[in-house]
Amino acid sequence: MSSRARTTLFLVAAAGLAVILVLGLIDLPPMGDYRGPYGYVVTQVAVYERHATDVVNAINYDYRAFDTLGEEFILFASVVGVLLLFRPSPNQQGEQEQQKGGDLEDDEESLPVSDALRVSTQVIMGVMIVFGVYIATHGQLTPGGGFQGGVILASTPILIYLAGDVRAFEKITSSPLVKLAECGGAGGYGVIGIIALLAGTHFLTNYLPLGTTGDLFSSGTIAVISVVVGLEVTGGFVQLTQVYLREIVESQLKREE
Amino acid sequence: MTTLIPLPVAIPLIVAAFLALVGHWAGRRFCDTLSIATAGATVWASATILHGVWLQPVTYWFGNWWPRPNDVVLGICFRIDAIGAVIALLVSVLTTAGLVFSWRIFEETENHFQPLMLIFMAAMCGFSYTGDLFNLFVFFELMSVAAFALCGLKTLEPAPLQGAYNFAIVNTVGGFMIVLGIGLLYARTGALNFAQIGRSLGTHGDALVILSFLLISVGFMGKAAIVPFHFWLADAHAVAPSPVCVLFSGVMVELGVYAVARMYWSMFHSALAMHTDALRNVFMVLGGITCLVGGFMCFANHHLKRLLAFSTISHEGLMLAGMGLLTAKGLAGFVLYALSHGVIKGGLFLCAGIVLHRLERIGEDHLHGRGRHMWPTALLFVLGAWGLAGCWPFGTLLGESMISEDAVAQHQHWVPYMFIFVEAITAGAVMRVFFRVFLGWGERAPTDEASKVEEKPETEEHEHTPVMMLLPAAALILLGISITAVPGVRSAAEVNAERFVDQSGYAQDVLNNAQTATPEPKPEEPLRSSIVRTGIAGVLALGLALGTVFRRRVGRVMEFTRSLELGNSLLRRLHSGHPGDYVAWLSAGTALVGGSLMWLLR
Amino acid sequence: MMLHLSYFIAGWIFLWGLYGIVTSKNLVHQVVCLAVLQTSTYVLLLTVGYKVGGTAPVFADIPVGTPVVDPLVQALMLTDIVVEATVAALLLSMVVKSNELANTVDPEELRILTG
Repeated sequence: MSSRARTTLFLVAAAGLAVILVLGLIDLPPMGDYRGPYGYVVTQVAVYERHATDVVNAINYDYRAFDTLGEEFILFASVVGVLLLFRPSPNQQGEQEQQKGGDLEDDEESLPVSDALRVSTQVIMGVMIVFGVYIATHGQLTPGGGFQGGVILASTPILIYLAGDVRAFEKITSSPLVKLAECGGAGGYGVIGIIALLAGTHFLTNYLPLGTTGDLFSSGTIAVISVVVGLEVTGGFVQLTQVYLREIVESQLKREE
Repeated sequence: MTTLIPLPVAIPLIVAAFLALVGHWAGRRFCDTLSIATAGATVWASATILHGVWLQPVTYWFGNWWPRPNDVVLGICFRIDAIGAVIALLVSVLTTAGLVFSWRIFEETENHFQPLMLIFMAAMCGFSYTGDLFNLFVFFELMSVAAFALCGLKTLEPAPLQGAYNFAIVNTVGGFMIVLGIGLLYARTGALNFAQIGRSLGTHGDALVILSFLLISVGFMGKAAIVPFHFWLADAHAVAPSPVCVLFSGVMVELGVYAVARMYWSMFHSALAMHTDALRNVFMVLGGITCLVGGFMCFANHHLKRLLAFSTISHEGLMLAGMGLLTAKGLAGFVLYALSHGVIKGGLFLCAGIVLHRLERIGEDHLHGRGRHMWPTALLFVLGAWGLAGCWPFGTLLGESMISEDAVAQHQHWVPYMFIFVEAITAGAVMRVFFRVFLGWGERAPTDEASKVEEKPETEEHEHTPVMMLLPAAALILLGISITAVPGVRSAAEVNAERFVDQSGYAQDVLNNAQTATPEPKPEEPLRSSIVRTGIAGVLALGLALGTVFRRRVGRVMEFTRSLELGNSLLRRLHSGHPGDYVAWLSAGTALVGGSLMWLLR
Repeated sequence: MMLHLSYFIAGWIFLWGLYGIVTSKNLVHQVVCLAVLQTSTYVLLLTVGYKVGGTAPVFADIPVGTPVVDPLVQALMLTDIVVEATVAALLLSMVVKSNELANTVDPEELRILTG
């Protein structure tokens, strides 16, 4: 179809869709008038049943923990998929390294990295890591949790790369610990659920002691699952960054040699 | 047995994580063996679950979160009835066949292929078992992400990436429509559990209910490749590796129709009850158009896998028609047809994979006569064609008989004739390939654009057909025959379908733990008229194939086969490979279906 | 009608995202339009869960029983965001690989699979 035909078809369809959407959306309750039972019931009971003050994470890692298992594996499958798509093929690898190295040498000159940048990066990095760990481990108490903490931790290597320390970036992201974190996090979530099965209850039941509300070690498996998810997300995103930047990093390292 | 229930989902996921960890260092054989063992264990687990739920469905609450007073459900449940269980069994069987087929091939994937297949299988099993709306979406997305990655596996050519990309864009837009629909349903009912939503929606269906039904159905029909949401299927199948195509055509697209059925019968039926006839007509029209478009494009294609992909689309139309009759018998027919078609199509795709492995080409024109010495594959191919024609002793006959009988009862008299058309044209196309490729009869096939897409073989060695490839193909075709051999299978299907369509019974079972009595077994009608109909289809298919192959010799009477083979140029041009086109058609289809629903169902 | 404005905004964003995908001439742009399309689901979900006068559903510093907004839609949105990020990552890797092999990111030029 020509571009014009395609656009015309779509615009006609969109007009129809707009009418249908308006007709349907009008029947929604007005904004701000939440009526459904789920929210009311869960905010009443979550704190007492699970000693967790952050109800969103109580839902994510306990009431609807099975969904989060699936969601974590969506991330896992996507990382495996990207690794699969970017796998080096034997003959291509040699050609492209030569090509890329040549291009960069002609076009760009690597700028020297200023000391101010290096020092401030190291300071910020420390803060980021601590903050990421804090968010990932305090999911059951305050907003945050495994996914958010994991993403913060995974941006630390990117910061290192942006600050110019390519060698450190390469060393951190190719470490086998990253893969271990990712696969261990993903498999670990499943294993936590299986342990519940072996203990005789249903899959993903919260079987650890619930502790006191407001303590760090409270709410049973919610905290554990949050940490496990944080590991998986960190590992997954660091691997993604490494794969995307691999060719550029390799050519930069070669030039430095 | 209750302990087994989460296992078809949990164990493959854990093993996949383990395989991804050790894949880089462990040998190929270890990874293959472990993944085949896991898939086999899942077959055993899902078969045991099927046995356990045969008489009474089981509800399993994750995290031990049972429903609360006033029908409030906070947790997620699996609500497994025989229909969901048998589909999960189909999933695990097809995955095992695919993994056995891919023994030691794809050497350079660093063992990432097996974890993705296991994740795909786990997601589809979870999809068939679940009783929660958002859980359904999560498994839908998990299934889709694994499928996108598997589809684009062969990264040495640009075509697989384009196919995977088109697949991903269309499916993801559909997925987001599903989320919108879920949001709307949640706004109305404050619940995510099928049973709870079904009870809350009550008996009146206003525009909001219709809109959410539209959005969720369109999302799932996009997965099911119903016209005009079908464009991605042919592209994806043309480039995905053969074991992955087995899963796509064998069960993934059928799950789309299953999801629409599940969603309708557990949530929307009583709200839309006053308009069942109108809704039936909408499904019938969509099914009919899908049959026609799929059938004509199937015959007009000469790329083996693309041809089979379009035949899947055509048969999907029949399945949507069966489900869309909105009766228990139609649903039972759909289930039987989906099971049989799944294994037969899987077997055919594995045969196509064997052809690619031995002869290194996949276009009908280049393969002419080169398959002469591959008689086991040729035999399986012919049997597959026979199965597509719905002839006895294949299970597709049973599905056809139930759907056709029920269609006539619902005054949809065109359905039996559409069956004959679809069976004749798709089986005819496969027979045509058999005559040209395996017997070398007639002249070469015309070269069309699609068949020019080269596919690098998936393997190195191609001197003889490995047993590991032939065995799963033969096993799948045999399964297609053995469905007919199960005594009382039609009656059992109908009994379970009766339970499936009983919305209040479903809600009572899930929310109040009050099990309903097993419905009375229905008498099975004689198969004679179906055997006659499918026999006619088979003869037509044979005639069409022979007439196309020997066109020059037979003369002018077969000239129409020439235009059939060249295909309608407008229809071909619409399948352009451009993702913007596909999404434009998706929007147009949504607007049309939505408009008809709003008009007819208010 | 004004009370439903944010729902209409969600619908508007959805249609705009679709328009972007349909008319895009660059695959990277198309993937970003897909992400835009998905933000409409965020807007819808959050609006559905909003309660006038409600605060965040975290009881670390407020007593249980204070009116809060719905926590479930936030949990759903979390899943939604992860899905979007991962699908976009996969799609973008397909685009990058495709560009490597065919030297273009224009869908018009990439039409290898037709018919």
